[in-house]
Parts: sequence; structure tokens; C-alpha cells
Amino acid sequence: MNTKQILSAMKIVSWIIFIGLCIKAGAIIISFCITLFVNAEGASDLYLGLDLSTLYETNKRYFINLTSFIITIDLLKAYLFYLVVKIFTKMNLNKPFSNSLASLITKISYVSFSMGLIAIIASAYNKWLMHKGMTSQLNWESSSYLFMAGIIFIIAVHFKRGIELQTENELTI
Amino acid sequence: MAIVVNLDVMMAKRKMSLNELSEKVGLTLSNLSILKTGKAKAIRFSTLELICKVLECQPGDLLEYQVDE
Repeated sequence: MNTKQILSAMKIVSWIIFIGLCIKAGAIIISFCITLFVNAEGASDLYLGLDLSTLYETNKRYFINLTSFIITIDLLKAYLFYLVVKIFTKMNLNKPFSNSLASLITKISYVSFSMGLIAIIASAYNKWLMHKGMTSQLNWESSSYLFMAGIIFIIAVHFKRGIELQTENELTI
Repeated sequence: MAIVVNLDVMMAKRKMSLNELSEKVGLTLSNLSILKTGKAKAIRFSTLELICKVLECQPGDLLEYQVDE
């Protein structure tokens, strides 16, 4: 398998993940709206067994807050993969370093950092609710997002240097 | 820029057009234009050698150092 084939495969996988995450975020938003406005039973299975019925019954405001965190992170995840798909679309191996790719990579690191921060806040909020006995511990993965943000930011900085070197190379006659 | 490329001066002295130089040196017109307009960041010795050969001049005739103000 050569690089081109691997990149094509990764592009398809990214599309699938992006669509999957959009469906997940959409499903949670719809379940959330149904729970709030149509049927409170929806809270017992928001998405693939995510049960927040106890929280909903105890305090509606807490339920809205926690679900908003989940939805925000899922939307950001989908946006992150949208950016990844965009990278694969714009990638050109003959001229690998471009400003548009650099800005996309930087954007991914910022999105990941935002996700990490939101996940930290959400995790703390989740713990606080857990102490009150309203909900169980959910997996927020805040440290992974922050780690990813750090690594991608370093790559973005190196990428920018790559653009400078490529420009220099192009302007060498 | 501190280093000035006097390619146009030498071309005028030898009464050579950019197209002619491009054909003789084997460089594309766009690359020669980059060199002529001073946008180039670097020049290979091989390129310099070819240009000097075609224009029958020395590297010093093509490149000039000017103090930045």
C-alpha cells in the first residue's frame, strides 16, 4: 500500500467518523429536545444507554447543564473531524506545505484545547453532581484532548517553519 | 535587500532579451523573472555559472552589495 492509497483510505475513514459524530450529536440534541418538550422518558436513554433520568427527575437545570456539556463536546468533535476531512481534501504531496493547511492544523489544536477545557469543567461539574448522588461518572477524556492539543500545536509550529523553508526553496534559482 | 541582482543591466549591455537568456541558460522565464526582480532568496552556483557563461561576465557583475538604510 503506497502513501496515496493510505491517504485515500484515511480520507474515507475521516468522512465516516465525521458523519458518525454528526449523527451522534444530532441524536443527542433530538433526544434532549424530546426529553425537555415532549416526553421526559427520553432522559433514561439519551444516546446508546446514556441514562440521565435520575438527574432529570432531581433537577431539570442540572440535567440541561450536563447535557449541554455533552452536546458541546460532541459538536466540537464533529467539527474537529470536519477540519480533518478538509485537511485531506486540501493535501497536496507535491507541495505539502501551504498556509491553508497550517491554519487548519492550528485550528484543530485550538478546537482540541477548547474541548479539553470544556471537558475539565464538565468533569468537575459531573463530580459535583456525583457527590450529590444525582448521576454516575461519565468519561470526559479531558487530559487526552489537552495532550492532543499540545502535540498538534507543536506540529502546527513545525509546519509553519516548513512553509518558510518551502518558500525559500521555491525562490532558490 | 542588501544584495542587488544586476541581471537586467548585464542583459542590456549584451543586448540580450529575457527569452533569449532563458533559452541559452535553460531556466524558465518565471525563474529568471524572479531573479531579475530581486525576489529570489538564493542562487545556485550552477545557475550563476551558466548565466556568467552566457552573458560573458563575472559573478561580481551580476551581484552587488548595497548597505541597507
